[in-house]
Amino acid sequence: MRKKNKTYLLYILPALLFIIIFVYVPIFQNFYFSLFNMNSYTDKWTFVGLSHYLNIVKDPIFYTALKNNTLYAVFSLIFQVGFGLFLAILLDSKFVGKKLKVLFRNIYFLPSLISITAVALMFYFIYNPNIGMLNGFLDMLGLGQWKTAWLANPNTAIYSVIAMSQWQYTGYIMVLLLVAIQKIPKDLYEAAEIDGASEIQKAFHITIPGVKGMLVATSIITVIGSFKLFTEVYVTTGGGPYNTTQVLGTYMYRSAFLFDEMGYGSAVAVIIFIITFTTSLLQIKLSNRNKG
Amino acid sequence: MKKKNTSFYINKIWINVLLWILVIVVIYPLFWIFINSLKTNQNLFINTFNIPTDPLFSNYVDAWNMGLSGYFLNSIIVGSISILATVTIGAFCAYGLSRVESKWKMMIYYLIIGGLLLSPQSALISLYRILEFFHIYNTYLAMILPYIAFRLPFAIFLMYTYFKDFPKELEDSALIDGCTTFTTFTKIVIPISKPILSTVSIMTAIFVWNEFLFAMVFLEDSKLYTIPIGLYNFKDALTTNWTVLLAGIIIATVPIIILFLFMSKSFIRGLTEGSVKG
Amino acid sequence: MNKKILVLLVLCLLVISSFLYAADEKVQIKFLHRWTQYMDYFEEIVKEFEEAHPNIDVEMQAISNDPFKEKIKIVLGTNEAPDVFFSWPGEFTNRFIRADKVLDITPYLEEDGWLETFIPSQIAPFIYEGKYYGTPFRLDGKVFFYNKVLFEKAGIEKVPGTFDELIEDCQKLEKIGVTPIAFGNIKPWAVSHYIGTLNQKMVTDETRYTDLDPAEGTWTDPGYVEALEKYVELIPYFNDFVNALTHDDARATFFNSNAAMMYLEIVEVPELEMYAGDELKENWGVFVFPDIPEGKGNQNYLTGYPEGFVVSGTTKHPEEAVEFLKFLTGKTAGKLEVEMLGWINGIKNVVGPEDNVPKGILETVDLVLNAEEMVNWLDSSLSAKVWDAYSVQLQMLTDGYSTPEKVMEAVQKAAAEVRKEFE
Repeated sequence: MRKKNKTYLLYILPALLFIIIFVYVPIFQNFYFSLFNMNSYTDKWTFVGLSHYLNIVKDPIFYTALKNNTLYAVFSLIFQVGFGLFLAILLDSKFVGKKLKVLFRNIYFLPSLISITAVALMFYFIYNPNIGMLNGFLDMLGLGQWKTAWLANPNTAIYSVIAMSQWQYTGYIMVLLLVAIQKIPKDLYEAAEIDGASEIQKAFHITIPGVKGMLVATSIITVIGSFKLFTEVYVTTGGGPYNTTQVLGTYMYRSAFLFDEMGYGSAVAVIIFIITFTTSLLQIKLSNRNKG
Repeated sequence: MKKKNTSFYINKIWINVLLWILVIVVIYPLFWIFINSLKTNQNLFINTFNIPTDPLFSNYVDAWNMGLSGYFLNSIIVGSISILATVTIGAFCAYGLSRVESKWKMMIYYLIIGGLLLSPQSALISLYRILEFFHIYNTYLAMILPYIAFRLPFAIFLMYTYFKDFPKELEDSALIDGCTTFTTFTKIVIPISKPILSTVSIMTAIFVWNEFLFAMVFLEDSKLYTIPIGLYNFKDALTTNWTVLLAGIIIATVPIIILFLFMSKSFIRGLTEGSVKG
Repeated sequence: MNKKILVLLVLCLLVISSFLYAADEKVQIKFLHRWTQYMDYFEEIVKEFEEAHPNIDVEMQAISNDPFKEKIKIVLGTNEAPDVFFSWPGEFTNRFIRADKVLDITPYLEEDGWLETFIPSQIAPFIYEGKYYGTPFRLDGKVFFYNKVLFEKAGIEKVPGTFDELIEDCQKLEKIGVTPIAFGNIKPWAVSHYIGTLNQKMVTDETRYTDLDPAEGTWTDPGYVEALEKYVELIPYFNDFVNALTHDDARATFFNSNAAMMYLEIVEVPELEMYAGDELKENWGVFVFPDIPEGKGNQNYLTGYPEGFVVSGTTKHPEEAVEFLKFLTGKTAGKLEVEMLGWINGIKNVVGPEDNVPKGILETVDLVLNAEEMVNWLDSSLSAKVWDAYSVQLQMLTDGYSTPEKVMEAVQKAAAEVRKEFE
């Protein structure tokens, strides 16, 4: 028995090593880096204590980034989780034929399979002021005065990026919720029908409470995803125009790799860590409560 | 009864109309990109909404030859090694964890699962230094090793839950028959665990397919680029050659869509069980 | 049973280590440039060099322009640092020199008359604190290119000699429904060329050089604000969506005769001759940025700086790397460079009358060679931080979200932060 136990431990070891070396060590090292002035191409380090954090708190771009991540989270909650739930309920209703249901589900799910970079490049083109699809439509509809450089106009840029992500991920969250809805026992609905409940009543009294766990889970995924944002912004706007679309991820990259301030970038990384870590802890707590 | 029928049909109509409109919202942009990828650049600037009368497939050939073929190969190499390693290392670990009897067991378990709470972004800067320290900056391994490490916690979490509830009778009888734990695991446990293994594989594949930040920072040589970073570089290299860029986007998109059409069920299962995007 | 796992682990390690150590007796030189679109030329150069030096193996990599600016910093911090790499002279290179990442090649240059082969004005930019750190690969200058047909249509008889005349000509062009100036500034290096020129024309040399020194620069001279006011005068005559278009997008409109002028680099002549519409191809001309008589700067300078290559300060094979640099920026390669790319490098008399070089190239190159002094590109002569503040504000200014005074306030603030790093 003892010998077998040793074997089992040996099975565990490679994974453990991987995770320690490439996940834990960097994250803890990052705390340490954030206390120094350093850049990518020199070996000169100077200890600066917490001054990077103080500078971040004074930097207006940090607040722009925080605001954009939050905006992204709010819109994603409304569209992906809110509208996604609405769609899932519609798809599961008796108003949609069985075959159509599968077709709709698969089509809505499709964009989430395309790589984020490809989607971002597509929208980069769709939003192009001269030959893009969006301005083309506006012209066709006689709304030429609404045309703008969607990704270069500070008033529209971040919303254009957010809209792109809603296009890509609403279907994905909808499918998650649809799976959860389909797990709700059918007899609950039958009983309600006998009582003469309307579709809306059924949705509010059976479906939504029935998928509460999944709603919490998808909300948290969406929020964490919003704070991990990088590729979507980097590929479409690169944080511009004039830093109005910076998010924490691009802000960190910019400090560490564009301005040669790796210590400062590390401090931003610590802030991203704190936000995503606490949100994840919240997820665990909430999902445990929902189970119990 | 009649009244109920009318309202039923009214509901049915608006719901279906709405759902079809959304289909257009999803499909039309893709279709629009596709038709424009078949045009010459001159025609693109004249009209982006017409369907080209003589579609130009040479854009696809150009995109493919401009490096996309290499990016594809790299994505496949990096993807398959990452999948194989994540599944193998993860399965062994999950199995070991679910069977081991040790006072450290739960601590190790939480240490591993804790990795789920840590976002890859916050490790970026120091990871770059660690890879540099191991002399693997700018190699396939610079992507593969971090990918494995950041996928393992979730893979182990899924597989551990699966193995834990696994009926032990089969294994016990095999062990009594003199099988080693290794053969018991590979011959008996693994074959019955295919669904969970395929879930983990699909998750890892989608992760690698999408990963951008690590690939961008940890690679220098364009010969090693994976699709996301390669496509992004197209944007710079082809500033006036839109149609080739569009063809590149379509090429990079089609394989996964075809794969999805053939196995939509396991994709959806894979993604819903592994509901962590990005 | 444990043996199997052990074997597996060992196998893994073997695979890993085989990635790390590729055995090779030849001296390997890593070479990094930024012209992903002209790989043919560089492959040819590498091939010829390797044939002449069988003991040296050149491993070439390329990263396109904008990513290059980000990537070079990362790469220089690694063991993967290239032995010979592209760089822009000025602060872009100087910060690497200060970090010992660039080799002082003065001894090699002075050794066997290598230095004398270069046009003095073209190698001078590579001097930092009295030492040479690189060699020029192509010379360059910024001038207005214009469409003679459109100018004629608008009734413009001669090219503008002063800034006010330029504005008048823009008005004439606008009257006939033509975009006067094509401009794409999604990557703000494009606006840096305008502002670099205007700054030089408005501010004395002394002030300008002090401000370009990151340890000294304060950017408080009122001339900088006046330079931006001149720029603001030009904005109405650009095309729409300036900050949303790439330089190449905007250039396409000039090439197709939809815009009458564009501020371009002379190294873009070959592209003009290749991609421009027939109308422009036969009817283009150039003029230097018009004078601003009230400006304090010398009006005869030309904006534009050579680009070149440097040797890594951490190279293990300095001799071989310098040998390659010598070839890369030498006469043989220079001839091929003109032939294949239409660019002139920094060597004296690279092209003679016997070479069949397009007139357009020779004429524009003469503008560079005859300029009283060349002015470095603003973006590569500034520290990353100051340029970031500058460029963000310049884009806002272009869109009407900032004023010349606010731009300079932001620059002064960033410069103050950078000065602190040198205390």
